Amino acid sequence: MPLFVLFYRLMVRPLFREPVRTLLTILAIALGVAVVLAIDLAGSAATGSFRSSMETLAGESDLEVVTSGGVPENVVGTLATLPYSIRVSPRIEDYGVIVDTKKALPLIGLDLVAEGSAYAQSETQKTAESQTQDDSEHVFEHLGDADSIWVGSSVGYKTGRRVELLINDQVRKYTVRGVYPDSHGNESAIVMDLAAAQNALCRYGRVDRILLKVPGTPGLEDWQQRLRTVLPAGVEVRPQGTGTNENRRMLAAFGWNLRLLSYISLVVGAFLIYNTISVSVVRRRPEIGIVRALGASRGVILSAFVGEAVCFGLAGALIGLPLGRLMATGAVRLMAATVESLYVSSRPGTIELNAESVLLALVIGVGVAVASSYSPAREGSQVSPVEAMARGRREYDVRVHKARDLWLALALGLAAAVASRAPAVAGKPFLGYLAAILLVAAAALAMPAFVDALTSVSSKLLGKLFGVEAMLASRSLAASLRRTSVLVGALSTAIAMMTAVGIMVGSFRQTVVLWMSDQLPADLYLRPAGSAAADRHPTLSSGLAEELARLPGVAAVERLRAYEISYQDMPATLASADLNVLRSYHHSDFFSGRPKAQVLAELRDSNAVIVSEPFTYKHHLKTGDSITLSLGETQASFLITDVYYDYSSERGSTAPSNLAIYVSPGAQLDVVRAEIEKATADRRVLLFSNRDLRSEAIRIFDRTFAITYALEAVAVLVAVMGIAGALLALVIDRRRELGLLHFLGAATGQVRKLIRVEAGLLGLLANFAGLALGFALSLILIYVINKQSFGWTIRFHWPVEVLLGALTVVYGATVLAGLYPAKVAVHLNPLEVVHEE
Amino acid sequence: MKSRLTCITAAVLLLQPLAPQYRTALPGYHYQFPRDHFNHPDFQTEWWYYTGNLKWAHDRRFGFELTFFRQAVSRDPAKVATWQVQDLYLAHLALSDLDGGKFYHAERTNRSGPGIAAVSESLGRIWNGNWQIQWHGSDQELKAVDERFQLHLTLHSEKPPVIHGENGASQKAEGAGRASHYVSLTRLATSGVIDLGDKKIEVRGTSWMDHEFFTDQLEPEQTGWDWLSLQLEDYTELMLFHIRRKDGSIDPHAAGTYVDRDGKTTHLRSSDFKLQPTGEKWTSPTTGAEYPIHWKIVIPKLGIELEAKTPLESQELTGKTKLAPNYWEGAIVLTGHRNARSLGGAGYLEMTGYDRPVRLAP
Repeated sequence: MPLFVLFYRLMVRPLFREPVRTLLTILAIALGVAVVLAIDLAGSAATGSFRSSMETLAGESDLEVVTSGGVPENVVGTLATLPYSIRVSPRIEDYGVIVDTKKALPLIGLDLVAEGSAYAQSETQKTAESQTQDDSEHVFEHLGDADSIWVGSSVGYKTGRRVELLINDQVRKYTVRGVYPDSHGNESAIVMDLAAAQNALCRYGRVDRILLKVPGTPGLEDWQQRLRTVLPAGVEVRPQGTGTNENRRMLAAFGWNLRLLSYISLVVGAFLIYNTISVSVVRRRPEIGIVRALGASRGVILSAFVGEAVCFGLAGALIGLPLGRLMATGAVRLMAATVESLYVSSRPGTIELNAESVLLALVIGVGVAVASSYSPAREGSQVSPVEAMARGRREYDVRVHKARDLWLALALGLAAAVASRAPAVAGKPFLGYLAAILLVAAAALAMPAFVDALTSVSSKLLGKLFGVEAMLASRSLAASLRRTSVLVGALSTAIAMMTAVGIMVGSFRQTVVLWMSDQLPADLYLRPAGSAAADRHPTLSSGLAEELARLPGVAAVERLRAYEISYQDMPATLASADLNVLRSYHHSDFFSGRPKAQVLAELRDSNAVIVSEPFTYKHHLKTGDSITLSLGETQASFLITDVYYDYSSERGSTAPSNLAIYVSPGAQLDVVRAEIEKATADRRVLLFSNRDLRSEAIRIFDRTFAITYALEAVAVLVAVMGIAGALLALVIDRRRELGLLHFLGAATGQVRKLIRVEAGLLGLLANFAGLALGFALSLILIYVINKQSFGWTIRFHWPVEVLLGALTVVYGATVLAGLYPAKVAVHLNPLEVVHEE
Repeated sequence: MKSRLTCITAAVLLLQPLAPQYRTALPGYHYQFPRDHFNHPDFQTEWWYYTGNLKWAHDRRFGFELTFFRQAVSRDPAKVATWQVQDLYLAHLALSDLDGGKFYHAERTNRSGPGIAAVSESLGRIWNGNWQIQWHGSDQELKAVDERFQLHLTLHSEKPPVIHGENGASQKAEGAGRASHYVSLTRLATSGVIDLGDKKIEVRGTSWMDHEFFTDQLEPEQTGWDWLSLQLEDYTELMLFHIRRKDGSIDPHAAGTYVDRDGKTTHLRSSDFKLQPTGEKWTSPTTGAEYPIHWKIVIPKLGIELEAKTPLESQELTGKTKLAPNYWEGAIVLTGHRNARSLGGAGYLEMTGYDRPVRLAP
């Protein structure tokens, strides 16, 4: 019990005495916890629980039969007549857009004759008994109608509703014939009978997937073996949802990278806790001396300070929990947009704040607080009672081993350089991350030397420029080197992260812009109006290309077709293009640097392909290797003739599913555009000029990285809050000194100036250190981490404006953060303060 | 006269106005075998119906039923793409473990699609998924796979095809075309294997095949029927049916066929026989329907008096949906006498329309 009283008096009371600073510290922890939690929650909602929307209504199927470009439909007959008790469910899968709401939904063609009864059954359980008969019969009643659709209940349509759907480039009218409950993992979708789906998509002779439910014995592997013998070559039988798993694996890497980014705020938060605790140790030196003299052991002191940190951590975590939940909502939206434009069509799941996430928040909050408080707490416990109790003595200076730390920093920096050279481990750039962490640690250790060197240079200069107050500010920073270093370290880490990510994203953006000018040489681009995504390639009516090519002023029309395929259990995009057009109009970059004409001539050989750079990286391939692709009924081998740069999506897309239209020299672009618009009036297509398309691509790019920006902003916010708190601590800590200044005749304005210059100086130091560290980190991000986890080659680019803007904002924020402490400093009563002296 | 309700219900639902496109069953139809064992797409409804009583060497009795229905949905020449529904193919499969006291049944509905279900004369095959009849010369191979059991039987016809009714048409109600073309193979020597879980059971016995095709043969007043196929120990067979009307009376178009030892047939009119329930009933726990499962059969002009009882009361086929009607179709045992000599046999009994009146009109 006395321990609690002691703890209360020694630790808790002082906290209430400085509510602003306490609050700032807790808020910093809360923000850190909230960000990590938000990303964690949003990650599991947007990617972790990822389930391709195409898996809806898949029932309890075990296996799926697939091949690129669709499974020949006679395979359905073959499978249905096998002497095994297998349920065979052929599916046609695509996307449709509800014209009214612009909502894109999976469009699924099912064999409603065979499955309709079971399908209607699920609904009848929900409806009143009297309706039962009608509902189940309705499925059959309108089966033959090409305009019959069934929709998930969450779409909100009732039976009998007329709906216009945009499918590929055409709008068709449909009637809702029934509604199925889309809970229990069945997402809302538009369901049609196979015949109607074939008709709507003009996809005859093939189905996209055949789902199979096989008996429990023998095992799935045996069934796969058994079924392979009856399937044509190239048609694959694999566990159902393999596509989902492939995507899930890809999304896991994405989620992992985001999560690491979210830990930056936490690192910054840790610096601040460290600072807060060490300040409080220094400040309570007399109290420590008294309790030590009264018999408290070192362990008691140590545990008291650690206990304080636990309180901070707990409070921070408790505030961070609801905050994180709130932030997760926004994060999910941003993440879902990224996932959609980069990876795969999906719908984010619900955000669930469960026991696990509460535990995560507590562990992170308390863990970081305890870890960062340990060192100052230990220092507090080492204080000898006599020294601490001696009144009037100068405050004990924290010992700093500048030189020793500098050597350590050098060693760590070297280790970072070595780690950055190492290859990826299990597809993840662990050593790249290690290099980044080592660099941050090295920077933290080098910080005292850096601050010392810079302040000693700056004090004279500042004195000349801004007067004696500035010189005093600089010197006082140098005097409390340890604390200044920690502050500069915290802020500069945040700035470095911001700079590094800023440089990477900026370089990436610039690279994409460059790439687009190479890859998008046509004047106009046409695509179906339906919403496209990385795995959706709505198609244009066949014949449209020829039709447009005949228009006056059109020099050439390039047709591109993309398919989703699977290569070595990873999704990839297969594209085919018109080689004649490709030859005359493209100026692609090929890896080998060979002239384009030569590469394309080789491509004319029926078994030659070019692949994108990420594809080679992912599958460890190079020019001259051959790859085997399952296409339709055949397994075809291709020789890789060259590799080209690609940034459209990390899966290695070779082209979009569009038309590229080249306008004849001399023809008016506007005139041709109007002609094309007239010719496609009856179709739902989007026509982009080259410039529109580029800005659209950049818009998608920026949307994709929005979450990255948001994370950075939070990290910087945490850092600035920390600066405010730390400066406040500095002021309170130095009240005697400030009081003395007052006493010696310093004007109120001078004291204020002193504190503001300190804040500004801190910001400047942090900016310098952060920029340097950020540059080093960006190199690791671009050339190691990004390359290893996504396979992109990014050309380095300084995003000067963005960086300047961001750094100015941070600097401004630091200076502003000094305002309140300055005000406090001004209001100190010099008499009272000096009295203590 | 089999479980046509299934088809008729579907017919009513799917294709109200299309009947005129189809031929109706009229007297004077010229039968040609094996051609007429297969498909008749001109007629709206067609079915192939196999039932049989089988025995395992160790005296364990089984009954089985496998039926293939074809119901025309569209003959629109514009709708010929693979997945367009030209015909609905329904099928029922049932196995009665008469001494084990178990009854298994399954149903499926398919379209023809890319070879999922069809009837092909050139292949000699009638199939719906992996339930199929394959003709080999004059023999038929029956294969059916369910998750609980499998049938693999060979059926050898010991008598020529029997054409029911008069002048090639089996009249079911008043009016031209209210009839079917109705052919049976009344004595199919059967042997094969029933795969029941992990047991393979070698069986032998006698089966019966019905094949009917027609368009719109019943009238709305008719609510259900009772039908029997009897295979007697003296190597003769009988088919009998009557149709019940809404008012509870029996439609005068009841009929039957007697097949003698040599395969010669005699048409039986309703006045030629009496088909009466004894009053013993079995109430279905699933549908609540009360089925008269004990019948008395008297055919004075043949000197036949028989009683039909079943060794297994629970042989009701209930659909997962209300698309197909629920009906009782099961193996029966016959006892009685012909003139002074006692006469036994086995057969199948079908009873429809007992849980609710079969909806014959929209």
